[in-house]
Amino acid sequence: MTVLVTGSTGFLGTAVVERLLAHGVRRIRCFARPSSNTARLATLASAYQHPVEVTVGNLQSVADIERALVGVDTVYHLAGGMRGAPAGIFLDTVVASKRLVEAIESSPVRRLVLASSLSVYGLADVPADRLVDESTRLEPHPERRDPYACAKLRQELIVQERAARAGLEVVILRPGTLYGRGGPAFSPRIGLTAAGWLLQFGGNNVLPLSHVSNCAEAFVLAGTSALFAAGPYNVVDDDLPTAADYVRRYKREVSRIPSIRCPFFATMLLSKWAERWHLSSRGQFPRVLTPYRTATLWRGHRFDNRKLRAAGWTQVVSTRDGLSRAFDDLRARQHASSRRPHAAH
Amino acid sequence: MLRVALVGCGKAAENHVREIQKLAGASLVAVCDLEPLMAEQLAMRYGIRKHFSDVDAMLDSERPDVVHIATPPQSHLLLAVKALDAGCHIFVEKPLTLGYADSQALVAHAIARNRKLTIGYGFYFDPIARTMRTLIAEGVLGEPVHIESFLGYALAGPFGSCVFADSEHWVHQLPGKLIHNVIDHLLNKVAEFVSDRATIHVQAWQRETNRHPACSMPDELRMMLLDTDRSAFATFTSHAQPVAHFQNVYGTKNTARLDFEIGTITLASTAALPGAFGRLSRTFGQGLQCFRQGTQNVMRFVRSEYHTLAGLNFLIDAFYESIRQDGPVPVPYRDMLKVAAMTEAVFAQLHEDRSLVA
Repeated sequence: MTVLVTGSTGFLGTAVVERLLAHGVRRIRCFARPSSNTARLATLASAYQHPVEVTVGNLQSVADIERALVGVDTVYHLAGGMRGAPAGIFLDTVVASKRLVEAIESSPVRRLVLASSLSVYGLADVPADRLVDESTRLEPHPERRDPYACAKLRQELIVQERAARAGLEVVILRPGTLYGRGGPAFSPRIGLTAAGWLLQFGGNNVLPLSHVSNCAEAFVLAGTSALFAAGPYNVVDDDLPTAADYVRRYKREVSRIPSIRCPFFATMLLSKWAERWHLSSRGQFPRVLTPYRTATLWRGHRFDNRKLRAAGWTQVVSTRDGLSRAFDDLRARQHASSRRPHAAH
Repeated sequence: MLRVALVGCGKAAENHVREIQKLAGASLVAVCDLEPLMAEQLAMRYGIRKHFSDVDAMLDSERPDVVHIATPPQSHLLLAVKALDAGCHIFVEKPLTLGYADSQALVAHAIARNRKLTIGYGFYFDPIARTMRTLIAEGVLGEPVHIESFLGYALAGPFGSCVFADSEHWVHQLPGKLIHNVIDHLLNKVAEFVSDRATIHVQAWQRETNRHPACSMPDELRMMLLDTDRSAFATFTSHAQPVAHFQNVYGTKNTARLDFEIGTITLASTAALPGAFGRLSRTFGQGLQCFRQGTQNVMRFVRSEYHTLAGLNFLIDAFYESIRQDGPVPVPYRDMLKVAAMTEAVFAQLHEDRSLVA
C-alpha cells in the first residue's frame, strides 16, 4: 500500500506521517512545497528507520499532482490555507482540492481522506444543548463567517461532488481544535489575544480539543480500516476541559497572561456594537466580532465523537497526558523566548 | 449609476471590491476569473450578483461601463484591449503592462477608442500625498531639488510568502520578478518630479539570508536618478524593520516628510532662532507637528476617514468622476508612461549588469 500525504510538513501532517509509520505503513510519499521545511520528516524516517519519500511540488500544478499520484492507493489530503489573504486561503484550500480530485479521477486511487473542520457546521441558530453530530446541517451562510470557514465548507462540497462522479470513496474528518507539542496556546474558541491580553469568550464551554496524535490516529484509521465508511466524522477527544479550566491551568503552568472574562450575553452585546462600528466606519474597524460568529463559536455547543469511536478509534494520548505535555511544551517555548537576547541590545 | 465589472479575483481584487462598494455612484455588477471557484468565492463573500469564468461572456452579457483589471500583469494588455474594444473604460492594476512599448500601445489604444484608462496608484492619492502637492503649489516647499522614495516589503507577508513558496508563481515570470510587481509604488513618487531626460543608475541584489534554492531574485534595490537640476533616490528593501514606506521632498525652502505607514506629513524648516536655541526649537517644533498630525488622524479615525486604502478610494472615485464629466483622468498618461519607461530602464540595466534578474 502506497499512501500520499499532502500538507505533510504541517502540524497535523507530520503527526499523520508519524502515526502511519507507527502503524507499519511503509510506502509513504509526502507532498511538500518547495519552500517547506522537511527536516521533521527526515527525523521521523530516521526514528522509525524507514525512508519517507518526499515529492516537491505545488497543488496548483496538475503535472506535479499526477507525478505524486503514481502508484498511490490512498491519499491523505491535509494541505490547505489557514491564514493570510482570503483569496490565498481559498486558492490553497478549495482550488487545490479541486485539482487534486480531478487528477485522482484518472489514477488508481480509491480512497481519499480529507481534513475538514468543525467550522463547516452552521451553528448560529442551533441551541447550545443540542449535541452536534455529523447530521447537523452545514453552514447556510458562509459569507457571514470567516474566510477559513467559507473555504473549508466549499472544499468539502467540491470534493464530494467530484468524488461522486469518479466513484472515489471520501472519508471526511472534521477535527476540532488541534493541540499538542508545537501547537498554538489559544484557539479562537477560548477567545482573542491582543496586546498581551486574553479576551476570554469561551467561558465554561467545553473545548472541542483534539490532541494532534489522536487526530492523526483517526486519519490513519480512516485510510486503512474497513470500519470507516465514506462520509464525515467529527474528531474530538473525550474528557475535555472547559475553556475556563484550560485558561486557569495555562496561567498556573505556563504564564500569568492577564485576561478579561466576558460572559456570552456580554460577548453578544460587544459583537453587535463591533459589527455596527465595522459597518458605520466602512471597514475602518476590522470585522473581528459579529453576532453570527459569536453565536457559532461561543454559544457552548458540544460535539459528538460517537461515530468516530464506533469506527474503532481510541485516543492514543489521554486528554490528561496530552494537556500536561502541551503545557510543558508551551512553558519551555515561553522560557526560551524570554531568554532570547532582545534585538535592540 | 456606473456599471462596474472586475476581472481577476485574486488577492488584489479584494481591495478594489471593497472600495468600489463604498461609492454611491457605482455598482459592481460582475466579477470574472479563469478559475470559476475564485470568481464564485469573491461574488459570494461580497454579495455580487454575477460571476463568470469567461471575460468575453461577461463583457457581452453585462455591458459594463468600467472594467477593473486585477489579474497578473502578463494578461493586462490583452484584457485591457478586449475591454476597450467592448467600449469600456479601464482601471488596470500596476504595473500597467510588461514593457514600455506595450504601455504606450495601450494608452494609444484607449485614446483612439475615446475611452479612459487609469492605473492602481492608490498611494499617489493618499491624503498626505495630496497635501504635499498642495504645499508645493502654494510654494511652501519652494522648488523641489531632491526626492527620496523608500518602500519596505514584508517577505513573510501574505503575498511574499506565497511567492517564495511557489517557484511557479506568476511573479517569477515578470522581467524584474518580485520588485517588478511593486516598483510602480516606488517610482510613481519620483515620476512627477523628474523629466524624461533623467539618467538612472541602479543596483539590486538578493541578501544571503533570503537565498532560496527555488527562488533566486533580487530583494534589495537602490536607485539614483539625475535630472538637470533635480535628483532622486529610490530604495526598495525587503529586510529593514519595521517595514517602512515614506517619501521625502527636499525643497529650496522646506522639506516635506511623508510617512505612508502612519499617514503623517511633517515639514523640516530652517531654525528661526540661532545656535542651540534653534536646534532646541526645531526639536520641539517637530514634536508639535507630530502631535498635531496625530490629533488630526485621531479625528479622521473618529470620522471613519483613517482608512489604509483612502488613496485607492479617492483614485477610483476621481476616475469615475472623470468618466461622468468627460474630464481629465486622475493619473496623467505622461506620468504613467514615465514610470513604465523608468521600470524598463531599471531592469534593462540589471539584466546587463548581472544574471540575477534573468
